[in-house]
Amino acid sequence: MSLADLVSLVYQYLDNIAFLLLAALGLMIILGVVNVINLAHGELIMLGAYITTIAYHDANLPLPVCMLLSVLGVGLFGMALERFVVRRFYGDRLAALVATWGVSLILSQGALLALGPSMPSVPLPAWTLHYEGYSFGGYRLLLFAIALAAIIATWWVFYRTKFGIRTRATMQNPDMTRALGVDTRNIYLLTFGAGSALAGLTGALYAPTTTIVPLMGTQFVDVAFITVVVGGGANPIIGAIASAALLAGISTPLSSILGTFIGRIGLLIAALVIIRFLPRGISGYWQDLRYQRMARHSS
Amino acid sequence: MNLRGRRGLAHTLNGPQELGHGPVFWVCFAAVTVAALAYPAFGSVFALSNLANFCLYVPMGLGLALLWGYNGVLSFGQSAFFAIAGYVYGVIAGNLIDVPGGSLLAVAGGLGASVLVAAVFGYFVFYGQVSGWIIPLLLLVLSLILETFMGQTAGYQWRVGSVLFGGYNGMTGIPSLQIGEWDFGGASTAFYYLVVVLTLLVYLGLRILVNSRYGHVVTAIKDDVERTRALGYNVNFIQIQVFVLAAALAGLSGVLYVSWGNYINPASMGLLSATLPVIWTAVGGRRSLLAVLLATLTLRWLADTLAVRGGEYAFLIMGVLLLATMLFFPEGIVVSLARRYGGWKAPTGAMNRSGSR
Amino acid sequence: MTNRPELTRPDGVLLRTENLVKAFGGVTAVDHLNFELPAGELRCLIGPNGAGKSTLFGLLSGLHRPDSGIILFKGEDITRLPPYQRVRRGLCQKFQTTRIYRDLTVAQNLLIAGGARSRGETNERLEWALSTLRLSEELDLRAGRLPHSHQQWLEICLTLATEPDLVLLDEPTAGMTPDETAVTARFLIDLNEHGLTVLVVEHDMAFVRLIAHRVTVLHYGRIFSYGTLEEIEANQEVRRIYLGEQ
Repeated sequence: MSLADLVSLVYQYLDNIAFLLLAALGLMIILGVVNVINLAHGELIMLGAYITTIAYHDANLPLPVCMLLSVLGVGLFGMALERFVVRRFYGDRLAALVATWGVSLILSQGALLALGPSMPSVPLPAWTLHYEGYSFGGYRLLLFAIALAAIIATWWVFYRTKFGIRTRATMQNPDMTRALGVDTRNIYLLTFGAGSALAGLTGALYAPTTTIVPLMGTQFVDVAFITVVVGGGANPIIGAIASAALLAGISTPLSSILGTFIGRIGLLIAALVIIRFLPRGISGYWQDLRYQRMARHSS
Repeated sequence: MNLRGRRGLAHTLNGPQELGHGPVFWVCFAAVTVAALAYPAFGSVFALSNLANFCLYVPMGLGLALLWGYNGVLSFGQSAFFAIAGYVYGVIAGNLIDVPGGSLLAVAGGLGASVLVAAVFGYFVFYGQVSGWIIPLLLLVLSLILETFMGQTAGYQWRVGSVLFGGYNGMTGIPSLQIGEWDFGGASTAFYYLVVVLTLLVYLGLRILVNSRYGHVVTAIKDDVERTRALGYNVNFIQIQVFVLAAALAGLSGVLYVSWGNYINPASMGLLSATLPVIWTAVGGRRSLLAVLLATLTLRWLADTLAVRGGEYAFLIMGVLLLATMLFFPEGIVVSLARRYGGWKAPTGAMNRSGSR
Repeated sequence: MTNRPELTRPDGVLLRTENLVKAFGGVTAVDHLNFELPAGELRCLIGPNGAGKSTLFGLLSGLHRPDSGIILFKGEDITRLPPYQRVRRGLCQKFQTTRIYRDLTVAQNLLIAGGARSRGETNERLEWALSTLRLSEELDLRAGRLPHSHQQWLEICLTLATEPDLVLLDEPTAGMTPDETAVTARFLIDLNEHGLTVLVVEHDMAFVRLIAHRVTVLHYGRIFSYGTLEEIEANQEVRRIYLGEQ
């Protein structure tokens, strides 16, 4: 394998990691903090793409501004979703799943009815890099950089801000945290908003790379779900990074040799095998290891 | 009820785990059954075929009621098992079209395929003792992958023997079930009777199951897994059993469907189809087999009516119905009514303890 | 899997641990414990907080896996068995906090409990227990509606429904009034006199005095002392570990 082939493979690997990270991070944060799976996640991504597309074509705003609008818009929508729907299901995770699935249907079918089967696409910035006969899309490298930035930003919020400390406390012991005077409801609301905003960002960022149709969310959710399952909700940051790195490492060679379908099936099989032995995902296992080193047990 | 779990059939049929007890209920039940069996005498061929179409989904719905309502496992994969059975039946029956008993072999093959996939999937999730939310997620992914895969099988190279998969357009010309002289095609009276009798058997059989000791253990697992383990039960194994049974029932519906319509396409394993059994179960009330049976028939009829008058709104309405039911009738509409007017309290069990199951 | 039948026949030992070790992080909760319980005994397990009592129960019932050492029950090595298989062999635990099926009736609770090991014959011991504790009058009540003491008794009856040879009771009188505690004590004594081996973890010394024949004192994960109740109460060292050291 020549150096160029290697570079190409690395590029695909980074591209895949970026896709998994951006698709899954918002969902994972919500799972980790609020303990709920938002099945409308794919439709939030779709909303992000739609907002960018509409702002670009109808309001003629520059692309970055459109994307910013997506982030804000979907973030606000996510908060409304938490406030009016998800909040009622905190005792029953599975019911929350079903309710958000209903929302997902409403959003995708509603988009179909209101805006038609497709929207004009957003142009992809033509930054191409050439190397030894391969051409690489610079935009997708940018996406990788943004994915990294998103992870770093998330880490910074969790570990370097007061809000983050309160959020982590809520994750570990909600009752105790409430007893200390923290408004956990507010934390759930803002976290849901942040996770949704990330979904909106993903939709906005990938809008130039794909067709804008009401069911476009599905191409993100199947990898997002697998990433979340393998990563686990115990620690969203570690879970997202480890899971994305591992899964991209599986799917990149598989899909480049045997095609995208085998790549996807390979991910599902990998997920099944991993959860058989690490039922709480990679971050759950990592957390158990940490606690074994730290924990005291009183009889 | 005595502690040894030995009681008469009458007692088991009238147990607490299901709606509807006493002579009044059973008289109504018998009356409806007689009416259904007598319907071919005065119903048109079209009406019979429609009714048969609504009924054939009932086993799938009841399977999910057992799995989700009684065992606490939410599955978005019932339609995948439905379609796997349908496609496999199509492949086998299409290739054995001139072989006597070929379609029966196809039924076995179709059900077997669904059961096999369910068993393998179930092994990983139940022996891994994963959290409850993982199962519906992975089943959604499975449905998506299957739908996408089958959608691109359009070329001639995508076939088994003489049967083409057909890509997005689906598999056509699937031969109906044939037993001896009888052809169970969609428009036939024979098919109508087959479906009605099977629906009845499945309902009564499940009703007996949920009221038996085994059925109580199934519910106990939903209420408190560790407790049930601590009483000596191999919970992982029992959960696979229930999961596989639900998959087999979905597969049964799938086989009946292709016999009825001689056709199946990838959309029947897709996300929208995956939603349907969940809607029937949620709207009826997953804690009662009868509620789910009624909801399945009603919603199938509704979907059919909508398809004529505004099909594009169908899934939007389904989404609204699902959300509204979860928000305002979390126990299901039929079950809520039974509670209020009949005083029936399903042993609903504790909500997911610590969210971990 | 070693099978050593000589353990029960000649010397009548039902349960034995050999060099059992369990550590959580830096703390050794159970420290090379050699514990022996002859068949037919009613033994109390006491010790200050952190002594390892709950951990030991967890190891015996299968909730925890030991770091090293073995557990022998009726001569069979059960160290690697999952909890449900231990129950099938006759070892059943009653948890510290009541974990009955709250929304099911008492009868339904018992129906479930009797299923995994049932040989289909009448469980006379269970029937006796139900009538002694008056639970037979409450069969159709929802378990969650019972008063707390009845829930505790129901939980004991659930263990009886599995037809155990050894019952582990973790603080069976927690939350009970003195009268209820006395009833429980009488009940356990009768149960033991009818042949059931019982191991009880308790903090309530009044209860221990009511029932104990022999007492094992744990401290820092090891057996600190063992003997009859009188011997233990007279032991100055035992008094010191309760009142003096941490």
